[in-house]
Amino acid sequence: MTITETGGRARSGGGDVQAPPPLRPRRRGIGWAQRLEIVLLSGPAILMFVGFVIFPVLMAAYYGFYRWKGFGPPTDVVGLDNYVTILQDAAFREALWHNAVIVVLSLVLQAPVALGFALLLNQKIRGQSIIRVLIFVPYVIAEVIVGTAWSLMLQTTGAVNDALRSIGLGRFAADWLADPRLAIWSLMLILTWKYVGFAVILFLAGMQNIPQELSEAAAVDGASYWQTQWRITLPLLGPTLRIWAFLSIIGSLQVFDLVYIIWGQYVASTAGTSTMATYMVVEGRNAGNYGFGNAVAVVLFLISMLIALLYQRFVLRRDTEGALTEGR
Amino acid sequence: MAPKRTVAVAAVMVLAAAGLAACGGGDGGSGPDGKVTMQFWHNATTGPGAAFWEKTVADFQAAHPNVTIEIQQVQNEDLDGKLQTALNSGSAPDIFLQRGGGKMAAMVEAGQLKDITGEISAETKQAVGDAALGTGEVDGKTYAVPVSIMPGGFWYSKNLFAEAGITTPPTTIDELNTAVTKLKAIGAPIALGGKDAWPAAHWYYFFTLRACSQASLDTAAKQKDFSDPCWTKAGNDLKAFADTDPFNDGFLTTSAQQGAGSSAGLVANYRASMELMGAWNPGVLASLTKDQKPMPDLGFFPFPAVPGGQGDPAAIMGGAGGYSCSAEAPKECVQFLDYLVTKNVQVEQYKAFNSLPITKEAQSAVTEDYLKAVLDAYNKAPYVSQWLDTVYGQNVGNALNLGVVNLLAGKGDVAGIITAVNDAAKKD
Repeated sequence: MTITETGGRARSGGGDVQAPPPLRPRRRGIGWAQRLEIVLLSGPAILMFVGFVIFPVLMAAYYGFYRWKGFGPPTDVVGLDNYVTILQDAAFREALWHNAVIVVLSLVLQAPVALGFALLLNQKIRGQSIIRVLIFVPYVIAEVIVGTAWSLMLQTTGAVNDALRSIGLGRFAADWLADPRLAIWSLMLILTWKYVGFAVILFLAGMQNIPQELSEAAAVDGASYWQTQWRITLPLLGPTLRIWAFLSIIGSLQVFDLVYIIWGQYVASTAGTSTMATYMVVEGRNAGNYGFGNAVAVVLFLISMLIALLYQRFVLRRDTEGALTEGR
Repeated sequence: MAPKRTVAVAAVMVLAAAGLAACGGGDGGSGPDGKVTMQFWHNATTGPGAAFWEKTVADFQAAHPNVTIEIQQVQNEDLDGKLQTALNSGSAPDIFLQRGGGKMAAMVEAGQLKDITGEISAETKQAVGDAALGTGEVDGKTYAVPVSIMPGGFWYSKNLFAEAGITTPPTTIDELNTAVTKLKAIGAPIALGGKDAWPAAHWYYFFTLRACSQASLDTAAKQKDFSDPCWTKAGNDLKAFADTDPFNDGFLTTSAQQGAGSSAGLVANYRASMELMGAWNPGVLASLTKDQKPMPDLGFFPFPAVPGGQGDPAAIMGGAGGYSCSAEAPKECVQFLDYLVTKNVQVEQYKAFNSLPITKEAQSAVTEDYLKAVLDAYNKAPYVSQWLDTVYGQNVGNALNLGVVNLLAGKGDVAGIITAVNDAAKKD
């Protein structure tokens, strides 16, 4: 988010290469041709954004004040009742807790794995591109396919248990999906498998931005490989790590499709993998309470936004400040 | 993870709910020359079902030269959402599949259905009968004509029963327990698609049917009050039965109808001996056998008697599938509904869908043993209850489903079901 902000401010006039640092008056005086250009180029995007993002959010807020079955226009205003019900519902608090667990475990599990792979791939090794593809492929596969495949493999009669039995580890065969002690770990395994590739790509890009001279200088000074990574690579990777963590947190708050596909509409809550988004669909669409469902969407939106703002304010501040000074 | 997911989900929800007003559409209505065009939505997208509708519409048009009916096939799972959007945007189809219950009541409340009480023919009323017509009524007015009956019970493999040494289907819950023990010994438990929840909830509904009197079922439907102790007894009966571990391994993550690993797939491939399901099941099972042909040894028996309940041991639970006209549909829509319950169409429909016709005169055409067994149970039943999730509407039905899954998973208790249902009822 901040990246685009700074990127946008860094250059105001795209065309004139020779111009000295842009003067203030010039900004105000853009000609009609430039205005037309702005409207033509950004207009469609803005329209789409307003139509498919802003408008639905506003409508969701509006419907959230109604008791509405979804047939005909909503008429039965209930004020904040839906919100009170949500906050009092043990099932919602449970789902919120699961989301919190997913946020923390995603960060804790994915970061070390991804860092390891990124360090490995940042060197010239044999089969580098194959490893890179293998790690990245799960991220590209559609969630529906990932969910279906894993749910088939992890069923009690599925491939995982069969494999365990065939190598003599039958006593470790388990009900990976329905057993509440295991289900959340099964989910974390799948999430890690699927999203670690994305983190690796980000970290690799970050590492390639670190000037080669630094590690060369360290080598001259007699630093070992691990000292170099610990003292140079990791600290300089900070901004990338913080952005990745941000994306991971927001994504974890909104986990929906994998859970819905693997656990179905109801079992997620008994297996301990329900999330705010699955709660929204079960209590909104499946129960035919569209007003209530929209209120849940608003709550999910507010929680995500609050966390995003706090994160920007307290964690990303250093990064943004640095970037902004550069742009001024 | 894509950070825009909330917004996307919200957008889809809101757009689906609000309806895309720009859909436009050929609303019916007579032109100046008396010509009428109607839109017709059904959910048979392939095979004999789709062919049946082509032929039925063509025959009706031949008899009514001024009428044109445009068929739109909508995939079953897409139908409800699409229909809701169309109804809300004012471009509803004139004739469409009606699932009844709470959803139908919501459509009536929003003024989206045509009141056909005084418009359906006397022949239709006579052929369908009062009890069945009642399934298409809200507050004493008719809004749908039912065309087939779908009672529930056990669909079982006669071969596996024979192999386990069971000679006659169980008629009491004790006999069922004994049978399950024998069947588990040969590795053929009861199949249950708990992932979809409603198949699990069916178990609770049937125990309720045996525990509660017809009067208390009616009271619960009208007042959404579930305080009668029979609801708790039904839960305890189910708990006691589930504690004997009668279902397939991993039933909580088994889906109902998708693929060989689903509960229906387990029965169709002889890895489970039976399934508690509605009368649509023979077709589902047939599509999941290895050669995609009907199971040759399929049998049916009604839910067994449970001791100590107020319900009649022969009462049966089942829905009726029907069709409605939208509020603005021309009168020819009602004529089409009348046509659907004439004898020839009913017989054709039975052959196409392998489902039970609603009219008595067409029921004589049924030949399959298992369908005859269903009809026998249906005709002997002192009363027929609708599927409870249909009766109580989506909201309470949803809470029932969730409560039963919790109970079966060992997470919740019987009191939890009653509380959840009562809480949900308050949202209505």
